[in-house]
Amino acid sequence: MSDDSDAPAAVITGAASGIGAACAALLRGKGWRTAGIDLAESDTDLPATVDVTDRAGVAAAVDAAAQRFGRIDLAVSAAGYYEEGIDVAEITREQWDRMLAVILGGTVHTCSAVLPHMLARGPGGQGVIVAISSELALAGSATDLHYVAAKGAVLGFVKSLAVEMAPTGIRVNAVAPGPTDTPLLASDSLWRRPDYLATLPLGRLVTPAEIASSVYYLATEGALYCGEVLSPNAGAVI
Amino acid sequence: MSERTGQDAIGGVALVTGAAQGLGHATALRLAADGYTVAVNDIADDGRLSELAKRIGGMPVPADISDPAAGPDLVEAIASQIGPVRVLVANAAAMAMSPFLDADPGVWWRQIDVNLSGHFRLIQAVVPGMRAAGHGRIVIIASGWGVIGHPNATAYAASKAGLIALTKGLGRELGPQGILTNAIAPAYMDTEQLLVDADDAGISLDEMRQRYRDLIPTRQLASPQDVAAAVAFLAGPASSAVIGQILQPSGGVTRTRA
Repeated sequence: MSDDSDAPAAVITGAASGIGAACAALLRGKGWRTAGIDLAESDTDLPATVDVTDRAGVAAAVDAAAQRFGRIDLAVSAAGYYEEGIDVAEITREQWDRMLAVILGGTVHTCSAVLPHMLARGPGGQGVIVAISSELALAGSATDLHYVAAKGAVLGFVKSLAVEMAPTGIRVNAVAPGPTDTPLLASDSLWRRPDYLATLPLGRLVTPAEIASSVYYLATEGALYCGEVLSPNAGAVI
Repeated sequence: MSERTGQDAIGGVALVTGAAQGLGHATALRLAADGYTVAVNDIADDGRLSELAKRIGGMPVPADISDPAAGPDLVEAIASQIGPVRVLVANAAAMAMSPFLDADPGVWWRQIDVNLSGHFRLIQAVVPGMRAAGHGRIVIIASGWGVIGHPNATAYAASKAGLIALTKGLGRELGPQGILTNAIAPAYMDTEQLLVDADDAGISLDEMRQRYRDLIPTRQLASPQDVAAAVAFLAGPASSAVIGQILQPSGGVTRTRA
């Protein structure tokens, strides 16, 4: 059953907290309809509790969103998690595989699920995909190598998918946040330390809302961006 | 959802250089629509500047920004008449094309003098006021050619690459004072400047447009309005965590190589 609104619709992974939740809140505030995919229930119009590593589960949730809303204008791949303070030699195979499965796999599953719905709208159409990467993928980082490798893989994936989709009108881009004040950053995270924050030109953590506003810009006025990486990062990587 | 603008505006006075035509003109219209009071500069007022200023309730400030005295005079005149500059859009550009060894040194250096040195001085002139206010936005219009280079455009590419480096340095230096500097590097935009390219290539304007479209993954030339939207984003509150970055609304030509 489709609702009868013609407001734009978005699917957001990781929608229950942090950047994903901020994207959902901003979009809802602008009149968008939202579907959230997360391990936890999200504050969206159509919350699905699904693990993004579950390809079939993601596809089912996206199909349900397309059915409910009649369209998918935007997909935001924000689901992720973070582990820091691990020497490279100590990263276990399980940690490595899990990180790639969630961050890269989650992004791939989301794109695979939404693209058929976006392509079905025909040429000249429409559809925007925004993957959340990280400033760490641009400049590298110590003691969180599996996270950085996965976020870097997302950038390569986004740039290539962007070129592949360019002639269809679908725009694929990334946002690479700086250190952002979300639950993923533990209270004792290195990135919260005052001596680290003092090195940032902005001198503070980025807020989730500041990431969401870049996503919203790409979604609404980003027709010229194709394989772009927007960096609301407080100057962490210039 | 507002269709006119995706971003909220900070407001105040914006100064746009190179506003008589093309991207500068579109930017002045966009920023005025977003609620800024816009001072519009170009090398001379042949009627277009004053007409634009009248249309948007702004102020025409014709001057050659490569003249070292121009920047301070212009910034002072704006401050006394409509208020201190809170947003500077460094858009004016001189552009000429020729093979490197054939380039007339005067023509070559003129592009550096206007695009890089002219804006360097203008930034010097606006920063004290922004500093005093604890807030400011500097939006520099660079170019995809400053990122990836282009044959027969060494001066233009050098000036724009210089602006990219200036953006990164200013981002670091002025960021802690609340002044955010970022740049935009469009690739192939459908403006009057394409005539220079077409003349250099010895083809018609329409042939030039098609040749460029073939180089762009999205197959679309950028419209000045779409690039002006990027300026509005960087001038407004939605980009409050963006510092020292080079936005590349290039249709996929450069894909964040700068």
